[in-house]
Amino acid sequence: MKITALLVLKCNQEGSDPVILANASDVSRFGFFQRSSVKEFIVFVGRTVAKRTPPGQRQSVQHEEYKIHSYNQNGLCALGFMDDHYPVRSAFSLLNQVLDEYRKTFGDSWKIVQADKVEPWPYLNEALNKFQDPAEADKLLKIQRELDETKIILHKTIDSVLARGEKLDSLVEKSSDLSAASQMFYKQAKKTNQCCTIL
Amino acid sequence: MRGKGANASIRDRTQEFLGIAERVKKSYSSQNGPSSSGSKPLGPQTMAMQSEFNRKASKIGLGIHQTSQKLSKLAKLAKRTSVFDDPTMEIQELTAVIKQDITALNSAVVDLQLLCNSRHGNSNISSDTTTHSTTVVDDLKNRLMSATKEFKEVLTMRTENLKVHENRRQLFSSTASKNPANPFVRQRPLAAKPAGSTSAAPALPWASGGQSSSHPLPNNRNQKDGETQPLMSQQQHQQQQELVPLQDSYMQSRAEALQNVESTIHELGNIFNQLATLVSQQGEIAIRIDENMDDTLSNVEGAQGALLKYLNSISSNRWLMIKIFFVLVFFLMIFLFFVA
Repeated sequence: MKITALLVLKCNQEGSDPVILANASDVSRFGFFQRSSVKEFIVFVGRTVAKRTPPGQRQSVQHEEYKIHSYNQNGLCALGFMDDHYPVRSAFSLLNQVLDEYRKTFGDSWKIVQADKVEPWPYLNEALNKFQDPAEADKLLKIQRELDETKIILHKTIDSVLARGEKLDSLVEKSSDLSAASQMFYKQAKKTNQCCTIL
Repeated sequence: MRGKGANASIRDRTQEFLGIAERVKKSYSSQNGPSSSGSKPLGPQTMAMQSEFNRKASKIGLGIHQTSQKLSKLAKLAKRTSVFDDPTMEIQELTAVIKQDITALNSAVVDLQLLCNSRHGNSNISSDTTTHSTTVVDDLKNRLMSATKEFKEVLTMRTENLKVHENRRQLFSSTASKNPANPFVRQRPLAAKPAGSTSAAPALPWASGGQSSSHPLPNNRNQKDGETQPLMSQQQHQQQQELVPLQDSYMQSRAEALQNVESTIHELGNIFNQLATLVSQQGEIAIRIDENMDDTLSNVEGAQGALLKYLNSISSNRWLMIKIFFVLVFFLMIFLFFVA
């Protein structure tokens, strides 16, 4: 359940390569000597996939052991490099969030950019870290998880309530025995009081 | 009037009647000039009412004829519908127009019948006229009913055709799962939100990204669906057919997840209800235990009081002590007697 990279690109119409607007990659998993090549690989594949995604469409491409999800929204494209276990839906909702945030932060200034931007966007790096757990990105997943936990807790509660019920039943038996016994005791005491007046 | 004569059950003898009326008028005016002035105002009056009746009946007949023509046009359109250019708008307009016409004709026939009945109150009309007018009204009603039945048949045929088209579409295209939902609803997003839905998505607030974005996105998706179908260029069709299943599965998985959440919440509600029932039942048990304990307490207190009384009576009973002493002395005496 790992995100390896998140990219935001500007896709022109068919023909030219997309321009990278923001790039956040986590290459700490790879050996030291592979890191730069992995970064290049990410950039290249990202450009290719973004070029091939028509506007307003979502796409998922499988490459070796990675899945690359791309979402093109009117020329602004967000890509995510994730492994196979990351649920597709959360991936796309994450891309949605990234795009919304980008538009909020940068407004429309991305439209005029022509060269790759190299300065990092701190939000994207944070997002990369925060959203390693798909539940963070996808509210539905989070809600489902919490509901499941609540259900488990409720099941335990019901079990304990049933045990309580059993104990209450035994208590009620004992208390009814006790009240019967005390009644006998009372009658006996009254009887001994009455029949010794002769003596 | 000509239209009424087309039905074989009525013979149009209006011309003969008119001829006779003229003759009678002439003979009357020649016979009694002064007294004819009394009957004359009545004559034209009945004639006027008769012609009004005739006029209305002829208007209704004409309306029915026009409506049945429109109906045949609608039937042809409905039969003709092919998969690709669906004249739905025209069919719907035509249906609405025909419906309006039929209701108007219905009310007109009812008015005519009322007029006919009101005129039968006037006793100076011959029975022939009454039978004639009732026959006319019945004929018009029958024709209107048959027109309405035809209309209904055409509508059922149209819905069947639509269903057949949907099935055919399912067979040949892979975007089937979205289509059977509502072919009519699909057209509304086309009309209502032309291009605004794609810009609505980025305008969403940040916090509610996950769930509320699913609402404009299905619209976006629907709009895409509605636009791709009429496009009909093979390449675009194929390309979008490949991408469209992915969007489909994305949307479907979102819908599934939402449904799961909803059902989970339902189950949780159920569990809470059961919990409440159990706890209330156990509450009743607890109350019973409490009552038992109170009974026990009162019994034991009563018994304690009785025993105390007993103790008091024993320990302060001098008379009892004297009696015991006497009994002991008595036994001692007897014992001494028998031994000594």
